[in-house]
Amino acid sequence: MTIKHIQHLYWRAGFGINPNQLQLLSIKNREQNIDELFRQSNSYNPLFINTSEFDTLTFEEFTKTNKIHRAYIEKSKLKVKELNHAWIDKISNSKEILREKMTLFWANHFVCQDRFILYIQKYNNTLRYHALGNFKDFIKDISKEPSMINYLDLKQNKIGRPNENFARELLELFTLGVGNYSEDDIKEIAKAFTGYNYDFEGDFVFKENQHNNDFKYVFGKSGHYDGDDIIDIILEQKQCARFICTKLYQYFVNTTLNENYIEDMTNIFYPNYNIESVLRYMFTQDWFYYSKNIGNKIKSPIELIAGLSHTIPVTFKETDQIINIQRMLGQMLLYPPNVAGWKGGKSWIDSNTLMIRLKLPSALLSNAKISTKEEGDFYDTYSKYYENRKGDTKIKVSANWDVFKKNFQHVKVEELQGYLLQCSINLGTQDYLNRLSKKSKEAYCVQLMSLPEYQMC
Amino acid sequence: MNRRKFIKNSSLASSLLLIPSFVKVFSNYITQETSYKRLVIIQLSGGNDGLNTLIPFRNDNYYRARPTIGLKKENIINLDNELGFHSSLMPLKKLYDNGYLSIINNVGYPNPNRSHFRATDIWQTASHSNQYLQSGWIGRYLDSFNQNPYAAIEIDESLSLALKGEVQNGMAIKNRFILYKSTQDPYLKNITKHYDESHLNEHNLGYLYKTMIDTESSAKYIFETSKTIAPSKEYPNHPFSNQLKTTAQFINSGLKTRVFYGSLNGFDTHVNQINTHKRLLKVYADSIEAFVKDLQSKNTFKDTLILTFSEFGRRVKQNRGNGTDHGSANSLFIIGKNLKKPGIYNKMGSLDDLDDNGDIKFEIDFRTIYATVLKKWLNVNDEIVLNQSYYQLNFI
Repeated sequence: MTIKHIQHLYWRAGFGINPNQLQLLSIKNREQNIDELFRQSNSYNPLFINTSEFDTLTFEEFTKTNKIHRAYIEKSKLKVKELNHAWIDKISNSKEILREKMTLFWANHFVCQDRFILYIQKYNNTLRYHALGNFKDFIKDISKEPSMINYLDLKQNKIGRPNENFARELLELFTLGVGNYSEDDIKEIAKAFTGYNYDFEGDFVFKENQHNNDFKYVFGKSGHYDGDDIIDIILEQKQCARFICTKLYQYFVNTTLNENYIEDMTNIFYPNYNIESVLRYMFTQDWFYYSKNIGNKIKSPIELIAGLSHTIPVTFKETDQIINIQRMLGQMLLYPPNVAGWKGGKSWIDSNTLMIRLKLPSALLSNAKISTKEEGDFYDTYSKYYENRKGDTKIKVSANWDVFKKNFQHVKVEELQGYLLQCSINLGTQDYLNRLSKKSKEAYCVQLMSLPEYQMC
Repeated sequence: MNRRKFIKNSSLASSLLLIPSFVKVFSNYITQETSYKRLVIIQLSGGNDGLNTLIPFRNDNYYRARPTIGLKKENIINLDNELGFHSSLMPLKKLYDNGYLSIINNVGYPNPNRSHFRATDIWQTASHSNQYLQSGWIGRYLDSFNQNPYAAIEIDESLSLALKGEVQNGMAIKNRFILYKSTQDPYLKNITKHYDESHLNEHNLGYLYKTMIDTESSAKYIFETSKTIAPSKEYPNHPFSNQLKTTAQFINSGLKTRVFYGSLNGFDTHVNQINTHKRLLKVYADSIEAFVKDLQSKNTFKDTLILTFSEFGRRVKQNRGNGTDHGSANSLFIIGKNLKKPGIYNKMGSLDDLDDNGDIKFEIDFRTIYATVLKKWLNVNDEIVLNQSYYQLNFI
């Protein structure tokens, strides 16, 4: 397998690859490398932060008085931030890269938000557990998650008093996509999902007395359906497989769709809904490696941070700072903008977010300075610009350059861009890069990471 | 073409390409129109309690529904013997008396959504309640009528959906100095200087470079234009006031920005709302007063229209925690100098005839207000922006 293709595979299925590992994989063929990718993600390691304060909490204590309740909620909100930080660390360090990549994908498919730490942590691990598994089991479990029951008002959906929020999103966002169902389908499906509830521990509880056991008429069928039956019925439609495969194609291949390839993927995914199978198929296809599909995707903020951290491991010392960086970049994990999630692609980029992206590597790695030293220069000419910077807030972060040095030991400084940039470089920019002094591999690394080209993968 | 020749050509091309944006900026600057209409949009985030903002103080149903949080007659600023302002809104009463304020009641849309996120999206994208749009109404205005990156500015860290178009986004500016400074980074400046547009970049990368170059020239233009005017010192000390202060500085300096976007957060008053609400309304009203004065001092108030909305109103009946839950229809404020119909635009909805949730029924679709502003104030075809035709109101 060529270096370029391995890099492409690892950027799309993960968060990049280092030269050392790249050399090892380059002597293997595509099937072997894809096997290896799935093998790495076979294991499932849940993400847990320290929640001791909540683990033994009873509902009585939690809601003892208004004041106590509010205090717990505030503590819980802080824990959710901590979970965000831990999740970023996991994405950056995990060996199960494809599983983590897919967990991110599903978090933006089954979009959910909760300020109660135990439920959202459980939810996050459910995403991780099913990330490469069976979509049918996955969505049934998701519908029974306390965070989802809360987020889409399933608790308020009772016999005689329907709330259609979940039913609508189930069809529109989770399974079929807009235009593939009627308002009547929504009403009937809402009936089937009545009685969904959970206990304080976060375990699913089906409340028989709140469930509407009438006949439901859905997609030309009728019966005394419950929620799981409905999911089976929806998934009988090939449109569901097509909808998911379209999203996978957009996420992994190209935002410009190719109906033929998506149809081929749909035929693999349907009717068993095995996620691993369809991904394996996609990564194996020649079209996945066509040059128009390489280096054309705008990295999400999380992909940007994680990718950088794969090259030079960075550790954030303050949770608020890593949260703030995500906010400024426009993607805060666990805090989706709305139930439809992040739009992705070009919408990541506005004036503010782009400038922050371009300044981020230097802010994390080189004290916010990017060298402009050209071949033959003695000094950097940037000193005037950096003279009055005393008021700036420093990001408390440690960057482990030793890892970079070790991984890039056998890479010559001129070769660095081939390892860090996935897309072809603007000729004017290349011309400028050629003139830069390449005395320091570290400085050149920061320069390359500060380019618009580094935003692509 | 050999490489040397190509570089020669491309460096020529890149220097030519950079000129137009500066010329564009410069020519904008010198051909300043005498009247340049601007729109300022303010979102009261969290769902402002309209009924405790504008109080139907002669209505017994109001006091019955709100036994502990209902505002007493003697503390209310009377407007028309039916409705009165919250005591924090004295500055708005002055605008009202001068004919600078139009209050549109019962604004909403069919099948209201009571989630903050979703309701905010609906207001910002001007969608139907069951429709998901990925672009905002101001963004679509930029797409079709004004593709200058600085034509719409949000004084915040990140850009709201309202200002995101399909092809053109507005700009998010938290601190124009920092933004300007970041574009002045010597390395990044060298990159834009060397960028070669003749080498047609792949779609997305080209978009990144375009944004980078736009930001560099806009940030410079914004920074240098706005610094010709000293900011007024007469504002309250609050982040929201600062947003308006910056907005006034931009407007008064003659910046060619059509739309400004700002927001005041914290209106989600589920518990013990009296003091919180009082404080927030005071911040809002005092900031607006300072803002209007600031504009008046430079004679720009006549060309500025200020629209204040909230993603929903709150339940008529108070809850057990001395607060209110999410509701639907709400009042909306239009502030400007030459209003067609100042004062109370339409009667407040009945408190006897509520919807199934116990909320005031909506009468005026918020998109008719957008349509009116687009057509009568910004002088563009509102149908193109809103994807359908809406009724025109006559407040301007």
